Amino acid sequence: MVLIAAATAYAVNYSADQAWSDLQQISPIAIVVVALLVAMVLDLVLPRRAQGPVSAAITVIGLLGSLVAALALIDRGHTAYYQFAVADNFAVFFDVLFAVLGILAVAVSHAYLARRNFLQAEFYVLLLAATAGQMVIAQANSLVSIFLGLELLSIALYVMSGFARKDFRSQEAAVKYLLMGGFASAFVLYGMALVYGATGTTLIPAIAKSLGPGAGTNALLLLGILLMGVGFAFKVSAAPFQMWTPDVYEGAPMPVTAFMSVGTKAAAFAMIVRVFATGLPSLNGEWAALLAFVAAASLIVGNVAAIAQTSVKRLLAYSGIAQAGYVLVGVIAGGADGQASVLFYLAAYLVMNFGAFAIMVVLARPEGDRDRIGDLDGLVYRNPVLGVLMTVFMLSLAGFPPSVGFMGKFFLFAAGVHHGYTWLVILAVLMSVVSVYYYVRVVVHVWTPVDAAERRLRLPAAAGLAIVAAGVLSVALGIVPAALFGLAQAGAVPVAGVGGG
Amino acid sequence: MLLTAIWLLPLAGGLLVMLLPHRFAKWLGALVGVGALGLAVYGAYAFDPAGHGYQFVERTPWIQQLGVDYYLGLDGISVWLVILNALISLIAILATPVDMRGAGRFVGLLLVMEAGMAGVFLAVNLLLFYVFWEAMLIPAYFLLWIWGEGPRPLYAALKFVLFTLSGSLLMLVGVIGEYVFTGGRTLNLPDLAAHPLDPAVQFGLFFLFAIAFAIKIPAFPMHGWLPDAYVSAPVPFLVAFAGVMGKTGAYAMLRILVPLFHHPVLWWDWNQVMPVLGVLGIIWGALMALAQRDVKRLVAYSSVSHMGFIVLGIFSFNAMGQQGAVLQMVNHGVIIPALFLLVAWIEVRTGTRDRAALFGLAARMPVLAGVFLLVTLAALGLPGLNSFVGEFMTLLGAWGLSPGLAIAAAIGLVLAPIYMLRLFQGAMYGDRTAAAGLLDLRGRELALLTPLLALMFGIGLYPYFLTRVMTSLGVPLPWS
Repeated sequence: MVLIAAATAYAVNYSADQAWSDLQQISPIAIVVVALLVAMVLDLVLPRRAQGPVSAAITVIGLLGSLVAALALIDRGHTAYYQFAVADNFAVFFDVLFAVLGILAVAVSHAYLARRNFLQAEFYVLLLAATAGQMVIAQANSLVSIFLGLELLSIALYVMSGFARKDFRSQEAAVKYLLMGGFASAFVLYGMALVYGATGTTLIPAIAKSLGPGAGTNALLLLGILLMGVGFAFKVSAAPFQMWTPDVYEGAPMPVTAFMSVGTKAAAFAMIVRVFATGLPSLNGEWAALLAFVAAASLIVGNVAAIAQTSVKRLLAYSGIAQAGYVLVGVIAGGADGQASVLFYLAAYLVMNFGAFAIMVVLARPEGDRDRIGDLDGLVYRNPVLGVLMTVFMLSLAGFPPSVGFMGKFFLFAAGVHHGYTWLVILAVLMSVVSVYYYVRVVVHVWTPVDAAERRLRLPAAAGLAIVAAGVLSVALGIVPAALFGLAQAGAVPVAGVGGG
Repeated sequence: MLLTAIWLLPLAGGLLVMLLPHRFAKWLGALVGVGALGLAVYGAYAFDPAGHGYQFVERTPWIQQLGVDYYLGLDGISVWLVILNALISLIAILATPVDMRGAGRFVGLLLVMEAGMAGVFLAVNLLLFYVFWEAMLIPAYFLLWIWGEGPRPLYAALKFVLFTLSGSLLMLVGVIGEYVFTGGRTLNLPDLAAHPLDPAVQFGLFFLFAIAFAIKIPAFPMHGWLPDAYVSAPVPFLVAFAGVMGKTGAYAMLRILVPLFHHPVLWWDWNQVMPVLGVLGIIWGALMALAQRDVKRLVAYSSVSHMGFIVLGIFSFNAMGQQGAVLQMVNHGVIIPALFLLVAWIEVRTGTRDRAALFGLAARMPVLAGVFLLVTLAALGLPGLNSFVGEFMTLLGAWGLSPGLAIAAAIGLVLAPIYMLRLFQGAMYGDRTAAAGLLDLRGRELALLTPLLALMFGIGLYPYFLTRVMTSLGVPLPWS
């Protein structure tokens, strides 16, 4: 009876104005969902030949609309739906990131899907679903909505990983991802349940308020943090929970790998910052210690394992594990500068990592992906633009100035030293030296002379545009980092008393 | 805008050269090089010798949020190194064979590297300095790898990159540490120098910076990459690489270590360790040079020995020693390219670099022998030629610091004539005469060396022209 009464009270108070205002706050998500529905319905009525281009167009239009809606929310956001969602600048930053990622993914996948004769409309619908999931995570203000977004994202990605239906490796990847991802989700959910049990609420700001001085000794809460931490580490593919990453990256079709290597990681970091930094600020010491261990393990495992890889997908998978370690340095550092550096680096990671994968997408042949490192031999002679840009992306990932990767690392490390994690920064720096070895190995293959027999590589227009844009941004944002860093600072969640100033 | 032009012109020119057809590459590259040299010389011409501190200053906010400025300046030290960089890079471009594989990209990368090194000499902001410092590594890596000679160019290139990078990434931690410990307001060198830190903090930061600089120079015991890289390097690149890039490390010691970390003392005093390392480098390099049969390797180790004098001079903490060190940077930058060019030309003619296989060349190539003698004498420090002045000043400075060290360093001066004159005598004279048909030095090869030879005499006879602008060197800071 009490429940019904409460529900009625809410229903009565929920006016049309309120509904409209709430909808505005989640408009980036709503637009993506509308595009998803339109694409799904049109898929049923259109002739098969038109399906691909039309759904691609709808996807891009939807994502552009979402991008504009997100930009309109800058500095104007507030909580919505009884605080379940929020459109603060932090959320808007990620919304923009995910919309851009989606658009780049469409541009890169279009020619690939046709070449490999994949179902096109379905791919774009799943892409939109995954993007919606990422945005829900970004805008979530409650453990429940975070989990909702996480599942929306994950389920779409499970299907996408197995999108090459006749490719055994792709099927294996999908199953592996499903099982491992399911485990991770279960961990997250269990952790959330324990935190709810300890604090009596799922709303993140309310959790922060409910933490008393004794919170550090509350076993229920600490166990919850531990379980959530494990689940999050799975999702950002941080060691020691990284096992699934190389296999799934290797098996999934290349555009899917490109999309999820950036998307999942960014979404998971949004989740970590939101839950840990905003929800559990006074337990900073506890979760930072946990994450510092994870970061150190990722830096070592990722960088050392990448050296021996002969598949570019696996190499980039391990590099991604290592990169998660770098970003974690910023998360652990905390404070406004730490969070800003995390946001900056994720944007940088978007352009450089997606760019590198996008070039591998272009290399694919109808019978399958070409991801041996030897497949890159002489790339610069087969297509100078791709060759030079691959070099740029690798040097940026390795952190050479004047690329955006260097600036990103500089901000992360500066935050790390500022907040007293000098040991972690020194470890990260030493591991960067190791990373140069394998990134440069890719560059060596790109510049190795080949016999003239290798024919010139044709570059599809849309993919070419996306890759060139990513390449230009990788350099330009490194030379003029102030603007993006300003946005990242604006997006940092204001949290009082975290990270020791 | 002058200073921005000094680094931007070679960069833009280099990228352009890489895009254009190879036929034009060398001459367009040379044109850009001449332009860059013109700008650098104009900078020296317009430089006010009476003025203290930085001139032609350019300063605009770069990363406002962190208080990092795009801040360039020219002072009494950098003015000479900027000219050296432009001159040696131009000679490197002119020494590039037109029919070299991928000559366009080679010349383009040389220009990009020149831009990076110019930036290192001009930057007055620590982060900006770091960006140039790292950026010059990228063209150097490609030049060393793709055009490398010998059996394992990739190995040599990778060894060089990993060596220098482990140093410079530690320096990045140092940059951040300096930023954080000085209160996180600025990274401009003059402001940082005005906030001396706690000796223990200085001790740690000194190590992080010094290791990067010592590897780049390379100073003893960080020279492990040098023989492989120098032997493998294609000669035009080696001219710029040995002539200028090593100086960036020495310059950075003078520009960053000395003013920022006066008193780096915790478990020991770094300022007392560095001169000892300098002396060890002098002796070790000379001994290794004595043991070499490969002439290129011999010159490479002689370079280690000479760089030891520079380190010793910088850390003698008096004006005499530091002025001598700067002078020696220029001298070494003039002599080493000439030596490597001569060795390369001898190798092209005789087909060998083995000291034992070279004999009696003077009879067949009298001009080359004469030039070689002149450069040899300059390298071993004959009075009247440039190196004598620099080494003499450094030793005087070192005497002021510690007579014992100066005496030990002078051993290097004794060993240098042994390995240099032994090389000269063996290759040029000896009891046999070389086979007939060896061409003497050609006119354009001689023309390429002429500016270097002129500088050896010029600096040797009138060093005051250079040292007079290094007014505020020594214990007071370069900009005070």
